[in-house]
Amino acid sequence: MKKLVESSGVEVAYKEVDVVTTGTFGAMCSSGAIINLGHADPPIKIQRAWINDVEVCHPGAAVDLYIGATIMSETRPFEYGGGHVIEDLVDGKEVEVRATAYGTDCYPRTKLRTTITKDDLNQFYLLNFRNCYQRYVCATNSRDEIIYTYMGKLLPKFRNATFSGSGALNPLMNDPDYETIGIGTRIFLGGGQGYVIGEGTQHDPGNRFGTLMVRGDCKKMSSEFIHGAAFTKYGTTLYVGIGIPIPILNEGLAKKTAILDEEIVTDIVDYGIPRRERPKLGKVSYKELKSGAITIDDKKVRVSSLSSLKTARKIAEILKSWIENSSFYLSAPAESLPTDTVCKPMKQTEEMAFVNSVTHAAVTCTEDEEVKAVAERIINRSVNHVVVTDEQGKLRGIVTSWDITKAVAKGKRKLVDIIIRKVVTTKPDESLEEASRKMAQHQISALPVIDQDRKVLGIITSEDIAKLLGR
Amino acid sequence: MVRILLRFSEKIVEQPITAGVILEHGVPISIVAAHVDSHGGEILAEVPSTHVEKVVDAFREKGVIVTFPKLIEVDSEKCFNCGACVSLCPVSAITFREDFSVVFDEQKCIGSPCGLCVDACPARAIRLVEQHSSGLIQ
Repeated sequence: MKKLVESSGVEVAYKEVDVVTTGTFGAMCSSGAIINLGHADPPIKIQRAWINDVEVCHPGAAVDLYIGATIMSETRPFEYGGGHVIEDLVDGKEVEVRATAYGTDCYPRTKLRTTITKDDLNQFYLLNFRNCYQRYVCATNSRDEIIYTYMGKLLPKFRNATFSGSGALNPLMNDPDYETIGIGTRIFLGGGQGYVIGEGTQHDPGNRFGTLMVRGDCKKMSSEFIHGAAFTKYGTTLYVGIGIPIPILNEGLAKKTAILDEEIVTDIVDYGIPRRERPKLGKVSYKELKSGAITIDDKKVRVSSLSSLKTARKIAEILKSWIENSSFYLSAPAESLPTDTVCKPMKQTEEMAFVNSVTHAAVTCTEDEEVKAVAERIINRSVNHVVVTDEQGKLRGIVTSWDITKAVAKGKRKLVDIIIRKVVTTKPDESLEEASRKMAQHQISALPVIDQDRKVLGIITSEDIAKLLGR
Repeated sequence: MVRILLRFSEKIVEQPITAGVILEHGVPISIVAAHVDSHGGEILAEVPSTHVEKVVDAFREKGVIVTFPKLIEVDSEKCFNCGACVSLCPVSAITFREDFSVVFDEQKCIGSPCGLCVDACPARAIRLVEQHSSGLIQ
């Protein structure tokens, strides 16, 4: 369609093309599957249950279970989770079910252990609350350490960037006003056929961040398009393949489906700042994202996708062949997706505490001082940490009372020999929770607070945090 | 060319060992990656396959620990071509083909001194492996 509109114009394209197929294959965390086990004898009203050590939730009556993609195995966390359980079941593999219950007169059983395959289940439906984001942001990291996120592994100091989504091939991007996509739209889902059952959670059409809620029969799906995945230090998820046919009902749709990667623009976002509103560093098109390199602060940065563009194309191709050989029929939606909803932030009754609320002035010294002078300062000011700064007040290092003690014991006199250069730092707008996590992770008890130019604004210590929590 | 990983202890790190081996044996040694400080260091080097044994012996005589670096192995059955590893690779050993298949170039990979891609793979399809088992490995 894209080439045809470019070469022959919208009018010709509208007459020539009946349907445009789309596709996407990416990590979609708000996914899961509802299963019905059938009744045991004597019957059990399941209270808690596990499949392959992954706790599954029990939202309804006796033997209905929901396998959430992001729930992790209790024995292999961060490696195996609900997404993998769904994939294994789709693949026809046997899984182990364990359950406990409190026992009632009608459901006396309190314990259960069995193995099942998908053929043993009454129902096995994918039921995803939020899938198929219209577009997503490009993620990068300003911190001086590697971070592990749902957007993958992000190297320090903007050394790489990641993105998700298929751009011009994305289903919702090809019908941005939801003229043909709504409740009841038949779609390619995980290698089988499924349906859109409404807008997804956090659906935000005004900002071109539309989402879908979908359902489909897992028994007819293929693990090529339903794939469990594990993101290090983030957790498990499910890769879901979705393809939607867009019937070209009018010239407007011919024009809209001709959308190109260069027309789809998204924000480059700094995931190094773990706040709801992460800093935006610029804009980038999907064409640039797919090229492998983008520019941040005039520097070339390698970028790659987290979702498979190869599989996205394959999905669009398969859907096309299904339509051509009459094994897939397009359906008119019973109701359109909303175009006026907004995605609100959470109402919070308690304000989070941030680093700036406990920051106090740091005791400082310069590199050319003697160990003895710094030792005296530590005693006089009764602190354990002295921050080393340069003439401009910028961070050069840190020394602790322990370092000074060691230096005295070894007869070292010059401070420059004992300064710790690799300093773990924090920023005023970092949450205290994050700051304490850093201290625990690095087994340290204080963090210099610095600004963007590494100028020292103060220091926070684990004692400050303990005092605040003790209030 | 064969890749060897040289580890220098704190004691010998300040000696001109690599230069010595090159001069004494007249073998070209190319440094692929290096991380050296006053506490010791690691150098990933390439030597012509015809001179491997000689070079390895020469380094070991000078107190260097020589091993064959682990390289990356991609399980193509498990890989679903997402590309999460591509932007992490500092030497472009992992790239996209025209059709967005992820391809791995063993020749370019610097193996265990890097390993950035290993824990970034959502499919857990990448692992570090021994390059080859040779009698030279201590």
